[in-house]
Amino acid sequence: MDRFSGNFDRFSDLFNPYDSNPTNANHAIGDFTKCTRKPLVMGSTVLGLEYQDGVMIAADTLGSWGQLARYRNESRIYPVGNFTVLGAAGDMSDFQHTKHMLDSLMIKEYYTNDDHVLSTPHIYEYLSRVLYHRRSKLDPLWNTYVVGGYNNGERFLGYVDLLGTTYQSSIVATGLGAYFAQPILRNAVEGREGILTEAEAIEILNTCMKILFYRECKTLNRIQRAKVTADGVEISEPYALPTEWSFGEGIRGFGTQTQ
Amino acid sequence: MDSFLPVQVSWTPQTAASGSDFYPYTNNAGTVAGISGGDFCVMAADTRQSFGVGYLINTRYQPKMFKLSNGSVLGTSGFYADGLTLIKRINQRLEWYKHAHDKEMSTPALAQLLSITLYSKRFFPYYARVLLGGLDLEGHGVVYGYDSIGSYEPCLARATGSGGSLIQPFLDNQIYRKTPLGILQAPHTLDQVKAVMRDSFTSATERDIQTGDYLELFIITAQGVDVEKYDLRKD
Amino acid sequence: MNSILNEFKSTSALCEEELHDSLYDWDTANGFALPTFEFPAVHNLNRFMKDITSASAPCQIEIQHGTTTLAFKFKSGVIVAADSRASQGNYVSTSSVKKIIEINPFLLGTMAGGAADCTFWQRELGRQCRLYELRNKERISVAAASKLLANMIYRYKGMGLSMGTMVTGWDKTGPKIFYVDSDGTRVDGELFSVGSGSPFAYGIIDNGFDFDLDVPSAIDLGKRAIYHATHRDGASGGTVNLYHVKPDGWARIGRWDVEDLHWEFQDQPKPSPINSSVIG
Repeated sequence: MDRFSGNFDRFSDLFNPYDSNPTNANHAIGDFTKCTRKPLVMGSTVLGLEYQDGVMIAADTLGSWGQLARYRNESRIYPVGNFTVLGAAGDMSDFQHTKHMLDSLMIKEYYTNDDHVLSTPHIYEYLSRVLYHRRSKLDPLWNTYVVGGYNNGERFLGYVDLLGTTYQSSIVATGLGAYFAQPILRNAVEGREGILTEAEAIEILNTCMKILFYRECKTLNRIQRAKVTADGVEISEPYALPTEWSFGEGIRGFGTQTQ
Repeated sequence: MDSFLPVQVSWTPQTAASGSDFYPYTNNAGTVAGISGGDFCVMAADTRQSFGVGYLINTRYQPKMFKLSNGSVLGTSGFYADGLTLIKRINQRLEWYKHAHDKEMSTPALAQLLSITLYSKRFFPYYARVLLGGLDLEGHGVVYGYDSIGSYEPCLARATGSGGSLIQPFLDNQIYRKTPLGILQAPHTLDQVKAVMRDSFTSATERDIQTGDYLELFIITAQGVDVEKYDLRKD
Repeated sequence: MNSILNEFKSTSALCEEELHDSLYDWDTANGFALPTFEFPAVHNLNRFMKDITSASAPCQIEIQHGTTTLAFKFKSGVIVAADSRASQGNYVSTSSVKKIIEINPFLLGTMAGGAADCTFWQRELGRQCRLYELRNKERISVAAASKLLANMIYRYKGMGLSMGTMVTGWDKTGPKIFYVDSDGTRVDGELFSVGSGSPFAYGIIDNGFDFDLDVPSAIDLGKRAIYHATHRDGASGGTVNLYHVKPDGWARIGRWDVEDLHWEFQDQPKPSPINSSVIG
């Protein structure tokens, strides 16, 4: 009934050939936009949790190119400064850009030589603002980041995605991990952050990554783990998770059986 | 250029790889409500943050109600990043106002500021349903309700966000007293208002999948802002 | 060439230049300028606005819409009346909207279409009318004021603004009504009604109108027209707000709940809720 609802149809769906839109005087709008509309090399799940000594995150080392498992040794965990670690899912070239950007930021901060070091919340805030800024330009950095850190006895674990959505939590999971691993993590970690030992944390993450490998086609059982504690960041070399497929024999429709 | 509506809004590396267009919004949802009284104002919000349309819960505790530097309280629901950005912008303007005028901005002035800030994004709106609560120049409680591009009005009681349309009719009944007997504006005390607010959210949590976990009540009086936290259902 | 240069100029996400620009947006010297807006970097803005506000959008930007407004001239000035319902889709988001906007003590505007569009631009019009007064030592005419509004709006034609408004007032030339809308229309007239309930309001006014009506009868006519519109148009409702524009400025006449008017115009007592078991 609203007599004004017809307004939008005035110039309708067609490209306006006379370009009468006054805002086209502004360079950003007249130009065709260039941005990541289709990410190419993709990383998948990143998991993070808090435990008694700090935080721990894990990611596999696969860079998928469409359905192809293209790069099998793609490190998706990166240290920023001494007490912060970044885990990335999504487009790997945008991740490389982000690494470069954060490195520049840390160097710039170091230049001033005033003994001030950016701690994890600072880096997280900076990163989330950059991601929001890029989404607002409709030119997103096509990533989901997990930021973990340990500063002066404070654990930090945060999530930020390509839209700039942020949240902090004692467990974080991206991609399909949010469906497969999140319930396991919530069960094992929530409420026990202060008493969870390193060995238990490793065990939980290994289990989650293994389950993901069983069910998610874009993961590997080759993973990397990072921990941030009072001693700083420690990122493990990639290692393989032992897997067990024999159970498939007994399940109708899982393995080679078709009936 | 093609439509901006993608096949799927919720983003996972999997859906992204299938080549959907970028869509700049998501709905992290949640519910915000406010009731004003003679010399107080009660603002409330749940703390659940949802992922969007993927039925995922990002986290059970990410506050979406913020005390601003002048003692007003601003609650946001919808797209969390937009809401957060709005809060940052408003807080910065409040800071500059303080330096320029050597006093805090009043809540009615802030209400207008919030309106034009939302409208400045008329052509790329903040997907945020916001509610502003505080005390007016006479010290009476006031709640301002907004649409996402800055249309606003002061009201006695207002609910917005994903459970807003569930709570608003209840507030119409309990606070506005819009009953068949006519509009009887019963005076209500702080305790009564707090009870109505807790009932509202308990009920909204029963019926809205994106509301729940914890309830934060911000009680604004001339003495300042008190925050109380209650449990809601976590399913 | 420049665009290629710009592309590689800075590797950090926020270059200092941008930061500087955004900081100086708040320079008070900008206070005299027209409002500016942030635009999304899309090629087809019209399409973008349509997409994000459509009901099928995953995150629909819901804009409050207003609905029945009217204004007519008669021998003692202008009667301006409106309902008070604002809806977002099928949801009544509020029933107490002030759809008659007090631009200044001599000018009134009405709200139909997007609520925020109407209030924002008419507030801006109020500011410009005040500047005009300070510069010219006299009040702006209704014709000039409505043209300021129409010209401001016209810059954004086709970009999704939605407003249909009547600018009314009393200036040197007498009482005036101008209809201004977001398509760029601006017309002088004696009688207008705008919004989805306008056909009903027109029906009542055309039936009962006489230029020589006395003030109470004119007020009653405006009241009845809005009431009947709220009765038949689902997107109108709430209360009737009514103003009378006189030579020395406007006066707010009153506000009536349409439920009360319903029984008043039926010449029946409002039924008691306690015994009303039979619906007649």
